[in-house]
Amino acid sequence: MAGLIPDSKSYLGARLALLRKTQNSDGGWGYFAGKSSWLEPTAYAALALAGEPAADRAWKLLSSWQLPDGSWKPAAEVQVSSWGTSLCATIAIVRNEWGHPLQNGVKWLVGSSGVESSWMNVAAARLRLVKQERDVGLKCWPWKPGNSGWVEPTVHALVALKQASAKLSSSELRSRVHMGEAQLMDVRSRDGGWNYGSPAALGVNLPSYPETTALALVALQGRHDLRSDLGKAFDLARRQVGETPSPMARAWLTIAMRLHGLKPEELTGDPQTDLMITGVEALAAPEGNYHVMRTAGATA
Amino acid sequence: MNSNRREFLALAGAASVAGFAGFNGGRGAQPKAVSKLPLAGQTSPVVVVKAASYSKDLADAMLRGILECELDVFGKRVLLKPNFVEFDPNTCINTDVAVVATALEVFRSLGAADVRIGEGPGHRRDTLAIAELTRYRSEIPSFDDVFVDLNRDDVTGVKGFAGREEFYFPNSVLSADIIVSLAKMKTHHWAGATLSMKNFFGLVPGSIYGWPKNELHYIGIDTAIVELTRAFGPKSFALVDGVVGMEGNGPIQGTRKQAGVLVMGSDLAAVDATCCRIMGIDPTRVGYLQKAADQLGVIEESRIEQRGEAIAGLRTNFELIKEFSQLRLA
Repeated sequence: MAGLIPDSKSYLGARLALLRKTQNSDGGWGYFAGKSSWLEPTAYAALALAGEPAADRAWKLLSSWQLPDGSWKPAAEVQVSSWGTSLCATIAIVRNEWGHPLQNGVKWLVGSSGVESSWMNVAAARLRLVKQERDVGLKCWPWKPGNSGWVEPTVHALVALKQASAKLSSSELRSRVHMGEAQLMDVRSRDGGWNYGSPAALGVNLPSYPETTALALVALQGRHDLRSDLGKAFDLARRQVGETPSPMARAWLTIAMRLHGLKPEELTGDPQTDLMITGVEALAAPEGNYHVMRTAGATA
Repeated sequence: MNSNRREFLALAGAASVAGFAGFNGGRGAQPKAVSKLPLAGQTSPVVVVKAASYSKDLADAMLRGILECELDVFGKRVLLKPNFVEFDPNTCINTDVAVVATALEVFRSLGAADVRIGEGPGHRRDTLAIAELTRYRSEIPSFDDVFVDLNRDDVTGVKGFAGREEFYFPNSVLSADIIVSLAKMKTHHWAGATLSMKNFFGLVPGSIYGWPKNELHYIGIDTAIVELTRAFGPKSFALVDGVVGMEGNGPIQGTRKQAGVLVMGSDLAAVDATCCRIMGIDPTRVGYLQKAADQLGVIEESRIEQRGEAIAGLRTNFELIKEFSQLRLA
């Protein structure tokens, strides 16, 4: 937040004030005030407060959570590589820190994919030995290694890799971005939006969710060639932002519309007790840091 | 063993008095095992209580079942685990709000030291928004104060769960003295039926395992159900909302099916087997119940002591998708 400090009674000001007040002594945020620090709420808070000392303290904590393989773990005591590696890569890029931590994180992301895309699964699908409801040849990203790929971790990996491509581009990275975008298009629900990543189960169509539709649109920014294909998703986003009871969904829909140059309605209401959602809401405000998710001009 | 209303009211009155005495610093209670595999030749009690609707009589029905199961919650920390994996206004995915609200009051009245509601929805990120849609937030007093989002709770690693070197569970789950699986009676398009055991999928934290909790699918759905029951069944009590269940393409896209019952017991496998029989499903053909049988609980009819209503008159066949047509009870 360079420049003006928002009024603490404004939509953004109330959220930033809450985040400043609830930062843990280790520099992170729990999902709720007073709870242990986790990567996800810490990352969104750090992005919302970018440029402030609180964000520096948060980054110092997150930096200590990077594992030797380049990935990040989701909390101090949890020894598991996490999708949150993408969020940490985005923070590093926002901070203009392009050194080894970011390079190792990007390398890990480029090498990470859902197990459904293992060569055996791809071969079995091509030989029609197993029935797949999505194209397993299109690699995407899982929540954690050893699992299938899903929409939300794929979105954040695409944002991070597209941003990283400005200085760390490689043919492998570009290939993963192309495949990841194609995979998102492959798992759209029939209604034109996205759910967690299954457009159908046992042949029955499954509906989209507002929050994942918004996230997918964030990942697909800059793909002007897809504009007409995404028409139904934009229609959904415009409608759902006024209908969903989820503050998280409203915030992501608003961020997606801003990043696509649309003018969403102003967000209103008090901050949530869920600090992860508070961080996303702070990003979504008109004068918030939603632009940290921007990838336009950095597509592969 | 059937109970008449007079016996029930006397029991309920005694339990309520004991409960309130406890809140006022009254007698202490000795810890008591709430769930165990019956020894050879013994049986597991399961109580079936009629509940035609989500009306005010629900508390009576619930209390009757709990007392007939001889469940002692006095002075204990109770975690109520409903099912709100998803929401769709056109069907009945979730444990009805009336069942959850009533359970909260009933367990408090029985003298539990602390009663909380916890759930980690499997598909949606904004848990409280789902709680809003299911009317939990609007109709359960002070819901936000008693609710724990199990997807975002602090966690502790447990060694050896399902062969994993370390697996993480929410601290609210690990620290509860009793977990009450407030499940919905539904068919399930991968597992056959989702009842009190499958409901434990919501104990797994999304903050680590994602949305959906795909790690459980890679463990194997039946195996994961059994392993969650092995881990938490011994301190659990099942209370299945079968007032209105779901048939067909459950657990999300099926259709409403009135069964008009609450099913309760401390042996989760026995409760689920009884629910299956009410649903017209042969529990001995359900994969996870086959695996659980005789190691985590009993599923044979002869080893389940049916209390409350006899199930013969309550059976109402739930529609099965063709992939599970072989589960139909003869």
